[in-house]
Amino acid sequence: MFIVYVEVAEGKPVSVDLELVNGLKAVTDKVTALVIGKDAEAAAKEAVAWGADSAIVVDGEQFEKYNSDAYAEAIAQVAKENAPEAVILGATQWGKELVPRVAAKLATGCANDVVGLKRDGDQLIFTVPAYSGNVLTDMTIEGNPVVASVRGGTFSKADAADEGKAADIAKKDITVDASLIRAQVKEAVEEITESVNLEDADVIIAGGRGMGSAEAFEDLQKLADIMGGVVGCSRPAMEAGWISRAHQVGQSGKIVAPKLYIAFGISGSTQHVTGMVGSKYIVAVNKDEDAPIFDIADVGIVGNVKDVLPIFIEEMSKRFA
Amino acid sequence: MEILVLIKQVPDDSVEVTVNPSTGAPDLAEITPVVNAFDTYALEMAARFKEANGGTVTVASIGGDEVDTGLRNCLSVGADKAYLIKDDSFKDADSTAKAYILSQAIPKIEEANGAKFDMIFTGLEATDYAGGLTGPQMAEDLGLGCVTSVIAVDPADNGVTIKQETESGYNVVEAATPVVLTVTKPDYDPRYPTMKTKRAARKMTIARVEGLDLDAAKTAPATKVVKQYAPPKRQAGVKLTGDDINEITMKAIGMMADAKAI
Ligand SMILES: Cc1cc2nc3c(=O)[nH]c(=O)nc-3n(C[C@H](O)[C@H](O)[C@H](O)COP(=O)(O)OP(=O)(O)OC[C@H]3O[C@@H](n4cnc5c(N)ncnc54)[C@H](O)[C@@H]3O)c2cc1C
Ligand SMILES: Nc1ncnc2c1ncn2[C@@H]1O[C@H](COP(=O)(O)O)[C@@H](O)[C@H]1O
Repeated sequence: MFIVYVEVAEGKPVSVDLELVNGLKAVTDKVTALVIGKDAEAAAKEAVAWGADSAIVVDGEQFEKYNSDAYAEAIAQVAKENAPEAVILGATQWGKELVPRVAAKLATGCANDVVGLKRDGDQLIFTVPAYSGNVLTDMTIEGNPVVASVRGGTFSKADAADEGKAADIAKKDITVDASLIRAQVKEAVEEITESVNLEDADVIIAGGRGMGSAEAFEDLQKLADIMGGVVGCSRPAMEAGWISRAHQVGQSGKIVAPKLYIAFGISGSTQHVTGMVGSKYIVAVNKDEDAPIFDIADVGIVGNVKDVLPIFIEEMSKRFA
Repeated sequence: MEILVLIKQVPDDSVEVTVNPSTGAPDLAEITPVVNAFDTYALEMAARFKEANGGTVTVASIGGDEVDTGLRNCLSVGADKAYLIKDDSFKDADSTAKAYILSQAIPKIEEANGAKFDMIFTGLEATDYAGGLTGPQMAEDLGLGCVTSVIAVDPADNGVTIKQETESGYNVVEAATPVVLTVTKPDYDPRYPTMKTKRAARKMTIARVEGLDLDAAKTAPATKVVKQYAPPKRQAGVKLTGDDINEITMKAIGMMADAKAI
């Protein structure tokens, strides 16, 4: 049996966790969703509809808002009681911070950012990327239960939710000792109000340092709007303030795999490429014909983005009219 | 405040690592070791905190003598003291083992320093395996609080106020000290050493933490490598060059359409 910790954002389970409650059934006999927080009950029902065999709900005052101290303790307590073979989380920011804390509480081994998980007899084999995705490592983890976070896209969601499915949803009362709550979020500041869904985009129009300005990014947005896509960026473009952090692709940004990725003025550093190399079709525009991005592009255009982008905008507005 | 920054030496992450087909292991011998990028951000944050509020910055790493280079570099960009936590048995340590070793070594460093640490900084993750596991595991082992993805820290009445980067902005977090912070890229870059700071760093000693009394079961790695390999490589496609940018761009768009990418 696996426990999947299902993270809730705006009242709903996050996408990667719905992939896990469905996909992990290929690896284990039973998947129990663990949902914590004030919307836990409704989210647990969703998790069941999307594939979980049963669910455990933890709510109460201490869990109103995400607090890593309280949540890590609750996950560890539920794991101790239910003795699963593995506790699996989605590799989100909070998933990745919970993994080491839960593992340490359970005195077991752990891994973050798993991109493959299969069974070999009674062993679980975890695949983790290393060196910006240039090396993959298959490994076993000792411990009962093992604790790991799995990246979005590793498993697939069910084709549809089975809203009527009956399953055992158990409520679990947990009180975390006040002495264990060592940090408190006093204020959550939203700097980025636009919602940018790079992970689910079919088309990503990305720009790098070679774009040169915030105005040039407005042109990228124009092209993205025409093609029904989302704008992505490299880290230097974000750091220059041309576009918000929500658009960053790569090692410290989003890992994406759209049907089409067009890179304008991006050199193709390993930290960027690791985030987009899974794209189905890659187009690169760069004035340096030796730019490493061309090594992974299906089509490369050696040229200035200032010349190429207007042609794209004009031609695509005809084709997508 | 007394600040400890934990650093890891990793292969230069601007060099592409390949797997050696004959050994089945990554080829790292030719790649220059550097201090993990996130640890350099952590050290810069610690140095700025010290400059604004007083205190000392100590750096420490688990590793072999070769890590002296990285520690010495840290001494030239803001660290006041350096310790190498060393034992032949640590070579295969994974994050779980390192967290345990650090939890045992830190009290020894505090003893040698004559003061307890108020803050322990780690990088958000190391650029080699990008686990981001060691810091929070160590915090649990030490029984301390832990805040991840930190981009700023300031003194507060009963501890510190932290800015924690989130997907949509940042959290303002209050934490009691001592506390473990994992640091991500703030909106400034680490400083460079000068001739003067380099010369001063060369004269400083890097103390050893050796002979720790450890539970062998806990220094054994919990993760075991089955095999390592390169991910399927993408084939480079067509690269279009020419003087007529209009022509090659239209040709590219035609190819995209043929491939049903649009
Ligand atoms: C720990 C760590 C994490 C990182 N995480 C990320 C990450 O998540 N995402 C990320 O992207 N980076 C990340 N980086 C940074 C990464 O190493 C590279 O520095 C970055 O990806 C380079 O971005 P770039 O290609 O836009 O800029 P550059 O490397 O400067 O490339 C700009 C390119 O634009 C071309 N160009 C310039 N002008 C024009 C023009 N007019 N027309 C056409 N082409 C032009 C140039 O030829 C060049 O190839 C990280 C680095 C570290 C150390
Ligand atoms: N050998 C080590 N010695 C000291 N600190 C380490 C070591 N390995 C990792 N760390 C710290 O833990 C952080 C996260 O590393 P990791 O868990 O390997 O991704 C690093 O940024 C360091 O601050």
